[in-house]
Amino acid sequence: MRFLINPNRFNKFTDLILMPLIYLSIITLLAGLVFVFYLSPNDYLQGSTVRIMYIHVPSAWLALLTFFIMTLYSAAGLAFKIPFGFIVTSAVAPIGATFTLICLITGSFWGKPMWGTWWVWDARLTSVAILLFLYLIIIFLKNSFTNINVAEKITAVFVIVGSINLPIIKFSVDWWNTLHQPASISKLSSPSIDPSMLKPLILMTIAFTLIGLAIAIMRIKAEIYQRKHR
Amino acid sequence: MKTINSIIAIFQREFKITYRNFSDILSIFLFFLMGVMIFVFSIGANDDIFNQIGIGIIWTLILLTNNLTLRKFYQDDFNDGSLVIFHLSGLSYELIVLIKIIVNWLVIQIPFFILIPISGFLLNIEFFNIKIIFISFLLGSPITTCITSISGAMNLLNKKNFAIGSLIIMILSIPVIIFSVGLINTSEESMGAQINILMGIMFLFLAITPWVCSICIKLAIQEK
Amino acid sequence: MLLANNIVFNRGNKKILNKISLTLSPKKIIHVTGNNGTGKTTLLKILTNVLEPNEGEVFWDGKNIKKYPFIFYKDLTYIMDKTSSNANLTVYENIYFWIKLFSSSRSIKEIESILDLLSLYQHKKSLVSSLSYGEIKKLELARLIIEQKKVWVLDEPYIGLDQISTNLINETIIYHAKLGGMVIFTSHITADIPNLEILQLEKYENN
Repeated sequence: MRFLINPNRFNKFTDLILMPLIYLSIITLLAGLVFVFYLSPNDYLQGSTVRIMYIHVPSAWLALLTFFIMTLYSAAGLAFKIPFGFIVTSAVAPIGATFTLICLITGSFWGKPMWGTWWVWDARLTSVAILLFLYLIIIFLKNSFTNINVAEKITAVFVIVGSINLPIIKFSVDWWNTLHQPASISKLSSPSIDPSMLKPLILMTIAFTLIGLAIAIMRIKAEIYQRKHR
Repeated sequence: MKTINSIIAIFQREFKITYRNFSDILSIFLFFLMGVMIFVFSIGANDDIFNQIGIGIIWTLILLTNNLTLRKFYQDDFNDGSLVIFHLSGLSYELIVLIKIIVNWLVIQIPFFILIPISGFLLNIEFFNIKIIFISFLLGSPITTCITSISGAMNLLNKKNFAIGSLIIMILSIPVIIFSVGLINTSEESMGAQINILMGIMFLFLAITPWVCSICIKLAIQEK
Repeated sequence: MLLANNIVFNRGNKKILNKISLTLSPKKIIHVTGNNGTGKTTLLKILTNVLEPNEGEVFWDGKNIKKYPFIFYKDLTYIMDKTSSNANLTVYENIYFWIKLFSSSRSIKEIESILDLLSLYQHKKSLVSSLSYGEIKKLELARLIIEQKKVWVLDEPYIGLDQISTNLINETIIYHAKLGGMVIFTSHITADIPNLEILQLEKYENN
């Protein structure tokens, strides 16, 4: 398990699994897309546009997962003095930001035919927007310091403060939403999904996770290399 | 006993310095009032609109005004080494942070108890219940001070990006705004719950802020 | 007694301090010399627990200063290369602050005679922002008298001081050592103090 915290072990381990991982993720993605476009039904209400959900939901999941991993590694870097934690944090932040952005844009495209507007301040979308801002602040914060040691530690502190605040923010946005939005327009989260929709959704989620993992590994390796040859 | 002497000494020093730079503090409050005026210009002097959104405007302006106090927290004392002197007199950095937060709250936040009613008159808002507004500000202002302190401590060595400090304040203040304004505009039933939530957030921040700030300050002192 | 054991400090790939050891016992005065960039200030920061060394430890009276910092601080006055007096306050107010901050037993009368010696008495009620650089440095050195601590750590104390003040500081240091105190300071100029132990940082570069 050393490859999780030691850069050299990480490099050795990922050298073995990176190419297979990339192939696997491409295959899963293709399989998922086949399911999405050919083997899944239209939604009763939304018609064909429901298929955007198959990109929207996995990216949301990945945005959150990335943040969780970032928090873990930031805590490891600060509390247990594991420098690899800071490497992972700075490598993975842009990935999380990208997935959040994809989630927002697809959510917007999904919403247009349904609500007629490109954006609506419902609880889910607002929370995702806040998550995007959080990611961006983390990235900008890291680039605000000339001293790399200060940059990574302060960023790690902010990641932890941000993650403590994230449930509070989510809770407050949900609460605010029930105040201001008359009806629940969130068709984005259908509570009961038909099994025929579930299969492609899970497949796409797995595909996205694998892709995200592959990109993360590549970025972490680049970060390790960059630090060695500074 | 020595510790109490040291704490009092720092309080006295902070108040003296504030008093010497009184126009500095007054400028901050003038910023707030001018902000109100700018809103009147941009929205139009429409009493109905202000009745609905007035409290929101006031709270937003309070938040933006706090951005101006960002540098005042630790930057000067960090630059001239005073923070180290405070520490060498026997006070932990957590205690120093707490002292700074209390001073800032007394000097910057308390005057808002006067400024909020004034801006209410300016915007012609019907204050149904001034008591609730004060309670909401009483609970929300320590949170804002803590958030500003965290941002100030994080940005001690930041010489490049001046906006990021304000960004940090803004994103961490979202729950405060939502619940503080919500408390005022809400019905009787949910008021108790919201007060509890706001109090919970306040205690959470009061607990973690000294710890987080002292980590950032120690780091900045090490890496200067 | 202040003891430093094999202090190593690196910044990035540069070795700034390479296995420095020193002993500062009562009545001893150590002068740390070295050209710019040899780590004089860094060494003092490590000795006062402001900076953590990569290797090595510092002990005060047998106790590790990282583990028991406040016990060490009770006996330490650290005059940095910066001046900590606040420019918005008067000389008197800064002095009063230091007296109260460190719970000093010095009376105001004693302090006023010190100010007189430093030619600062006439500026008692002036804002520090109106003082010259040398006068501000002199004011900072008044902390040595106020804090009444055993160990004096001074970073470049002579900069900005005229000859009279330099002599005054030297006399104060000698007197402090005579009474059993200990002093360590950095300076790139030679100090006119007898029985000085000199620590040349360049000698340790190839340890």
